[in-house]
Amino acid sequence: MISAFVILFFAALMSIALHRSVFLKPFALLALGIASFYTLNSVGVFLHGFELNSSISLFELILEIVLVALVLHEDEDITITQTLFLGAASILLLESSTLLSFVISFEALSIISIVLVSYIKTKEQAEGAIKMFIAAALATGILFLGVMFYVIGGGDLLKPISSSVTIFQKIGLFLMLAGVFYKLTVVPFHAWAADTYALVRHSHAAILTGVAKTVVAISAFNFFDSFLALELNLSVTLLAIVAVLTMTLGNFLALFQKNLAKILSYSSIAHAGYMMIAFMAVESQYAKDGILYISIAYIFMQTAAFLALDTMKKQYDISTLEDLKGFSKQNITLSFFFTIQLFSLAGIPLLAGFLGKAVVFYAGVDAGLWYVVLFALLNSALSVGYYAWIIKTIYFDKLEVKERFNEGSLVTVAQFILFIGTIYFGVYAGDIF
Amino acid sequence: MSAVELIFIPIILSIVLSFFVRGNSSISKYIAIALFIYLLDFSLSLFSSLPSSGYLNLGSYLNVKEFDFILTLQVDKLSVIMLVLTSLLLILVSLSSWTMKNQAMYFNLLIAFSGAIFGVFLSTNLLWFFIFWELTLVPMYFLVGIWGSDRRIYAAVKFFLYTHVASMFILLAFFLIYKESGSFDISVIKEVTLASPVLIWWLLFIGFAVKIPIFPFHTWLPDAHVQAPAPISVLLAGVLLKMGAYAMIRMVILLLPETSQQYAWVILALGVITLFYAGFMAIYETHLKKMVAYSSISHMGLVVIAISTISYAGLSSAVYEMLGHAFIISPLFLIAGFIHHKTGSWYMKDMGGIMQRAPYLSAIFILAGLGALGLPGTMGFVGELSILISAIKAYSLWIVFIALGSMVAAGYIIWTFRRVVYAQMSDIVEKTDFKMNPIEFLALIIFSILIIIFGLFPSLLFDVINPAFEQYKFLGGAL
Repeated sequence: MISAFVILFFAALMSIALHRSVFLKPFALLALGIASFYTLNSVGVFLHGFELNSSISLFELILEIVLVALVLHEDEDITITQTLFLGAASILLLESSTLLSFVISFEALSIISIVLVSYIKTKEQAEGAIKMFIAAALATGILFLGVMFYVIGGGDLLKPISSSVTIFQKIGLFLMLAGVFYKLTVVPFHAWAADTYALVRHSHAAILTGVAKTVVAISAFNFFDSFLALELNLSVTLLAIVAVLTMTLGNFLALFQKNLAKILSYSSIAHAGYMMIAFMAVESQYAKDGILYISIAYIFMQTAAFLALDTMKKQYDISTLEDLKGFSKQNITLSFFFTIQLFSLAGIPLLAGFLGKAVVFYAGVDAGLWYVVLFALLNSALSVGYYAWIIKTIYFDKLEVKERFNEGSLVTVAQFILFIGTIYFGVYAGDIF
Repeated sequence: MSAVELIFIPIILSIVLSFFVRGNSSISKYIAIALFIYLLDFSLSLFSSLPSSGYLNLGSYLNVKEFDFILTLQVDKLSVIMLVLTSLLLILVSLSSWTMKNQAMYFNLLIAFSGAIFGVFLSTNLLWFFIFWELTLVPMYFLVGIWGSDRRIYAAVKFFLYTHVASMFILLAFFLIYKESGSFDISVIKEVTLASPVLIWWLLFIGFAVKIPIFPFHTWLPDAHVQAPAPISVLLAGVLLKMGAYAMIRMVILLLPETSQQYAWVILALGVITLFYAGFMAIYETHLKKMVAYSSISHMGLVVIAISTISYAGLSSAVYEMLGHAFIISPLFLIAGFIHHKTGSWYMKDMGGIMQRAPYLSAIFILAGLGALGLPGTMGFVGELSILISAIKAYSLWIVFIALGSMVAAGYIIWTFRRVVYAQMSDIVEKTDFKMNPIEFLALIIFSILIIIFGLFPSLLFDVINPAFEQYKFLGGAL
């Protein structure tokens, strides 16, 4: 563990010296390469409070691959540095096993995300960044309130959650879950997300929704699953309501948006709802695989979709559905990658999005929650409405402008890496289980 | 190629081709035809190697034991019949799309479709079956949305959404089956008694009923049929609807025979309503292609009635009627599309007197129409008669009123002949040149030959179909 984190952290520090030089990107890629090498070869406990098991190491590897794509795509030096920082914090959070390490690394990730979006160039970005900052501050407050209750109730910060909890500890843990749900953009803690994701730079939004969210989802699941299993009656009722609300709201609001980034933001909220099913189904042995799978699928497809949006915005000045008309005639390669990722988000088979959802939903059925899963399935079908509408705009509508640009080849490579990930995990599930 | 390559190579091939072959280049067309002929040859060759009962194993791949997510490829006689039908129709559809615009992408999508549809009929793992089932939607969405007529986008999105929502019920049912049996494989599930068969039955029934389509879940089809280009309507009617019926037989009737028997009345009632409702809608329509679309739904109603008997004879005649429906409705769609292409009108009042301008075309139209109303000597007659007999066997004599469905069919078909083929020549027809590309005409001739041969010698087909259900003789009722 320590090795990958240390490498990324120091690489991030050193990369500052390389700003404005051509070596920055190769250096960042090299660091990520070495980090993934160490991720592959180290499983176990290295430091008190942190441990690495095989499923987490798989996710870390994928995280590093996605970071490679992000670095390849990025053309701002400062963002590359912050991507490395964020990778380091993510690794820390993923491996944390005690309350103290979880809270600290959660906050580290949170602060780095705030720093990431506060590189502001326009008024809109400022609005997005402020909203995120306030939400993150609130989440921190709630999280620490929870920690306080937990400690008052006699909890030990240096140990994982024990199997017998007092009433104070229970309150504390539910409050902490609320803090975490802020980051996961679960209803009713979602309001900031739709604006922030849509307003900040799209490549930053890719990191926020694609990377940070999945990291939080997996680590929160690993951390809270024993507690949720303990409090099954309460947590299932609560989470079922929350999950159904989240996905329904996300999908319905996405249906009415004209702005592409808004659509993807609401779809990101809807996906948080699907992830909640795994939190409900902790009893089932498939819940862990499910959250891992949907996160892996999601990190590929959502990152790729937002990166594609970034390219469209920068080079073609596309931000609404209207601008996207006939895009397939303008740039067939990017259209193709974008379409595949949208199909994956919609849950069309042979793509990772389908299997990710399938495993999570099966975990729900396995835990006896088939009626919640029915809701989720219908929601997922509903979501095809707006994804198919975007694809319709790209392929079926007539092109109005005739300009044609070529994006840099590195951008295409980044898209290609994410595309391969979506395809690979859509066909072959063997690595997950 | 092995079976698994037959599924994945077309899908990959179509993606690769889409980057290199653009516009009106006909390379994809020749590749597609060669591929489809190979598929037909492969499917026919499977007949000889099939065991007398049970499945022929074609290998299993991508093994994920923990989730029973294994691409198991197995065929029995029923699926081989569907494979032959599919590849035959794909060839004929390619022939009748010979002069399609923007050919490269069109045929690329057809190639991708062929891979997905083969996956549907080859895989016996429910999860993989579902994957291919859903995958067929993607090329269809583009085929309807790009090459369709005026309201194509509405029709494409509606088709995609409607059938996708229905699929969600199927997926939930599959999950419940897996939970209760511990396996996604059909041959394993058959041996297990499920804990909640009624819930699973209803979920599966609703899901597949949309695809067939059964009233009241049919509303997507008239739109899709009318807006799709004619060859794609053929694929919709000939392959996609058959997929629904195939799945209904395989997953509902044969997997849950007792529950199906319990709810046979639901299937029967909806089948009868579909038969008559769609029939009367067809009489009412003056839009030529819509008339054919409703006639297609009406015939699927007959198939549903045959399935509802849950008997050996009923299933056999259902499969026969499925094939008959494919061969009879297809030329009707193609001719309706062709007339629209030439005259620019969909409405029968503009089409009077085509007989004088295009006698051969009209002859095929009449032949297929007579097949649709069940004239002896065509496939339609044999299909309807055998369904009637099997229904009487299963439900006793009162069911004979479904023969009236044939009269309704006679109503709309003969009236259409009067208005389109024989009526006074309209101005539009007079000005139109009905010259057809010979290759597209060849496809129509092949359809007509099939209608007559299998109509005169139904045993050619029944000899193949009956053994498919031999192991289900316990269901009763031999023809």
